[in-house]
Amino acid sequence: MRISTAQFYSQSVQQITSKDSEINDQVKYLSSGKRVLSAKDDALAYSSLSGFKEDLSNIKQYQRNITQAEQRNKLQETAFDSAQGIMQQLKQTFIQANNGAMSNQDIQAIAAQLSSYQGQILDIANRKDETNGYIFAGHQVDNKPFALQPDNSVNYLGDNGVRSVQIGKNLTVATNQAGDASFEKIGNPIGDFSASYTANSSGFSLASAKIVNRSNYNTAPLNNPPFPAVPQDYTFNFGAPNLNITDSGGTNVFSAPYTPGQTIAFQGIEVTMEGNPAVGDNFKLTPEQDVSVFATLKSAIDWAAAGISPANPAQHKVDYDKTMGQINAALNHMSTRQVDAGVRLQLIERQESNHLDSELYLESGRSNIEDLDYAKAIAEFEQSKVVLQAAQQTFVQVKELSLFNFI
Amino acid sequence: MSISLYQIGNSGLLAAQQQLATTSHNIANVDTDGYSRQRAEQGTNNAIQSGRNFLGTGSYVKDIARLYDQFSYKEQVNSQTSLGQADTKHLGLNQLNEVMTFSSAGILTSMQGFYQSINSINDNPDDLGLRNIALQQAENLTVNVNSLNENFDQMSQTVNGEIGRMAAKITEISQGIASINQIMTQKMSSGGGQANDLLDERDRLVNQLAEFTTVNTIADSRGIMSVMIGQGTTLVAGTTALSVQVIAGDPDPLQAQLQLSGPNSTMAIDSTKLGGALAAKIEFRDQDLAQARRELDVMVLAISETINDVQADGLDLNAAQGTDLFTDINSVAAQQGRIFNQSSNGGNLTAQINISDVSALSADEFEVRYDGANYTMTNLRDNSITNLGPSVAGSTHTTTLGFDFVESAGGPIAGDRYIIRPGQNSAANMAVQLSDGNGIAASSAVEITPSDNNISPGKVEISDMVNPVTARTMMPMRVEVLETAPNVFNYVTIDNTGTASAAVAYTPPSQEINMGAFSFTISGRPSGTAPSAPEQFFIGDSYGVGNGGNALALAATQELGVVNGGKQTFNQSLASNNADVGSKASQAKNTAETSQALFTQAFNRNQATSGVNLDEEAANLMKFQQAYQAAAKVMTVASTLFDSILSLSR
Repeated sequence: MRISTAQFYSQSVQQITSKDSEINDQVKYLSSGKRVLSAKDDALAYSSLSGFKEDLSNIKQYQRNITQAEQRNKLQETAFDSAQGIMQQLKQTFIQANNGAMSNQDIQAIAAQLSSYQGQILDIANRKDETNGYIFAGHQVDNKPFALQPDNSVNYLGDNGVRSVQIGKNLTVATNQAGDASFEKIGNPIGDFSASYTANSSGFSLASAKIVNRSNYNTAPLNNPPFPAVPQDYTFNFGAPNLNITDSGGTNVFSAPYTPGQTIAFQGIEVTMEGNPAVGDNFKLTPEQDVSVFATLKSAIDWAAAGISPANPAQHKVDYDKTMGQINAALNHMSTRQVDAGVRLQLIERQESNHLDSELYLESGRSNIEDLDYAKAIAEFEQSKVVLQAAQQTFVQVKELSLFNFI
Repeated sequence: MSISLYQIGNSGLLAAQQQLATTSHNIANVDTDGYSRQRAEQGTNNAIQSGRNFLGTGSYVKDIARLYDQFSYKEQVNSQTSLGQADTKHLGLNQLNEVMTFSSAGILTSMQGFYQSINSINDNPDDLGLRNIALQQAENLTVNVNSLNENFDQMSQTVNGEIGRMAAKITEISQGIASINQIMTQKMSSGGGQANDLLDERDRLVNQLAEFTTVNTIADSRGIMSVMIGQGTTLVAGTTALSVQVIAGDPDPLQAQLQLSGPNSTMAIDSTKLGGALAAKIEFRDQDLAQARRELDVMVLAISETINDVQADGLDLNAAQGTDLFTDINSVAAQQGRIFNQSSNGGNLTAQINISDVSALSADEFEVRYDGANYTMTNLRDNSITNLGPSVAGSTHTTTLGFDFVESAGGPIAGDRYIIRPGQNSAANMAVQLSDGNGIAASSAVEITPSDNNISPGKVEISDMVNPVTARTMMPMRVEVLETAPNVFNYVTIDNTGTASAAVAYTPPSQEINMGAFSFTISGRPSGTAPSAPEQFFIGDSYGVGNGGNALALAATQELGVVNGGKQTFNQSLASNNADVGSKASQAKNTAETSQALFTQAFNRNQATSGVNLDEEAANLMKFQQAYQAAAKVMTVASTLFDSILSLSR
């Protein structure tokens, strides 16, 4: 085939140019260490690559959230731990107070000590975190959640808000326990009701009062208004021979002789008592599912403040037992709350290690797609270099071969 | 007899001279673009009969031939067109690919930054600093989106500019060919051989033209060439040159179109069928670039709407309902900008496109036609047709494609056409609307707490929040659900005055109950203790400066499948848009390489016939020099012979 001179030049130049641009591309890859610089370099892998990158950045976000969640839960765990310690000391002091050998002065000192415990618990309940927010206030983080009243009772001003952060795809973890769940909602040790004694000459006490059958208790059928029913109080009157129980509307709901130790069942409620109630003894059963730790502390302080010679010693004894039961329940509750925070911390930790695993896997997936295989790339680069040199040298040499050089 | 050695020698001398001239002409034009080598065709002069013999009388140059193969030349022209198209396409897509890769990296980084700050707000909702950072990050996101969009604008302007220049060049070539035709006519009438260099010049112009568009040429018996471009649109008819002009597109003025204008008339050119660089430019502008832009627009709509939606579910730091964080996607101006009227429309309809569901939106373009009774909408990607029903003033035509066609004023007449681009301008208009970090609605309004006494796994959850402020005022509320008989569920709601609603039937597995300001969903089988103790769910006001519930919902949108039928996250949508362009670019690169190879082959074949080889010319030069010298020698011999004769008579 005839080759024209112009063809020789244009093709040599074209070849050298194309090698040049190849080498230019290779230099770009080599200097960045990546083989996918833009979608064009590997359009098929690009989507998975950006998927990997998205997952990796999500994991980074989760890890940041995990750090926060861990810190918040640790803060609360520590708070419950200290609260538990104080409650323990308080319990010992309260046991001490029941010592018959106490003088009136001793008991007043104990009452003061109990008050100081109350102050300490209150201080824990009003703790702040590093952002200056109250940790037990629910969502109302800039309001002091627990406020001490003049009568030693404590009001909760927060709400039941629980914040959570995302620590995994479809996985959120709570970062706080609200103040009410932490300090207010301590299960009543004797069940769903509390007793207030109007007349107690025999020193009997309410041992338990539970709703065993909700469908019989406080019935307010959906299809039978008026609705809703108001929680009922029940008044117990020990008479001769019958124990009469009337609801808040004055309706008699139970009337039968009472044998000590027997279980009284009415309207889905089961009540047991300790001691032998005397005729004329009288108490009121009020619904109380939860007892606040501060209410317990108040009754402890009030009990101690009554001194060694209370108005009704039998009733005083009953009150002591009731408060002691509540202190025990509060101690248990604190430990449950602490365990709760601990369980969350465990979950967070497990998730954290999951993330580390996935990060490793994702990172290697990303690297497989995106990162340059240097050995291969350099081999290719060397090859291209040789080819370019060859093309250049051939051009120069062939160019010299002209017949005009000989005429 | 009169054989003149002088004459023979002279004829050889003259022939060799012309040969040398032709060779020199070839050498001189070795670098001339489009030049075909020439050869002086030599012939013998008529012989003289002398007795029984014919005596030769020398040589003459019959013709200066142009070594030219029509077929290989046409092949070169055709492959020039494919090369022009492939190269231009590759160039455009390559640029788009790079712009998208770098811009979307910026968008992704700022999106991550935004979500990161939202997550921080979730953890610490009352920190004003964090809130302002989130707004700053949102601002970055919009700036990045705007700048990618500006890049798109600029590219499309550049393409329009290039189309203009190409049109001007085509016009210039057209005039060039016509004027060559003119000269040819004159040459022809004066008779004689062909004007080789003029032919080369004309072919060169045709070849240049072929880079821009498909070219077909027909030469008549006189050698006058008519040139057709595209699918047979005449550009040059004999000595008449037509010109190509750029006119504003219709209905979108930015999609400039081409028209052919002659002395008396103008005619639109179907630019998609032009071939060559021009078609590649137009295709790039109207398809590749437009597609990437529409994908971006749809993604921006999805982000803006999703974030604004969640914002509206929550309460800001001033306990007010969250307002739009990003530009409202359904402002009247935005809605009107999504529809383009064909300039020939006779009706006076003003229409709007309202986005109803960002998940259902596609990056497609639609054409709506009014046939006198009904609107018919055609998807311009797959030509699927949707009937939008009859035109009624002020009516809204809903579609399942994520948008509604709203007739806001006036009415159409039969034959009117409109183009709909549902995402139009959303990337350009994206901006942060909040100026104060307090405005981020981090707090949820209400919260549902199930009673401790519930015994079933049934659930009540907030499913939709219309007005969080009103919802708060309705608190506290209670929902009670009871299985009154096996598989018969009733629920009542108890409002904040303690008034109960009538019992309403609930059908598992789930049911949404609309309370006006918000809706909740009962799900599962919350049976309670039959027959009369219901499951209770307390709905309470949950607003608080420390409530990050809605920020959590905002943060969750990062991983939410929203775009493209709810299948893609924002990130994925952007990446797939980017990958689309990348794949097109790498395909275009392959096509360009193939076209280059094909062109090189055609060029080589053509050069094999028409190209000048200097070695060959050098050999010719020596050959003809010798022939010249030999012919001169003949004349010397003739002269000597003549002298011999003369000396006889002395």
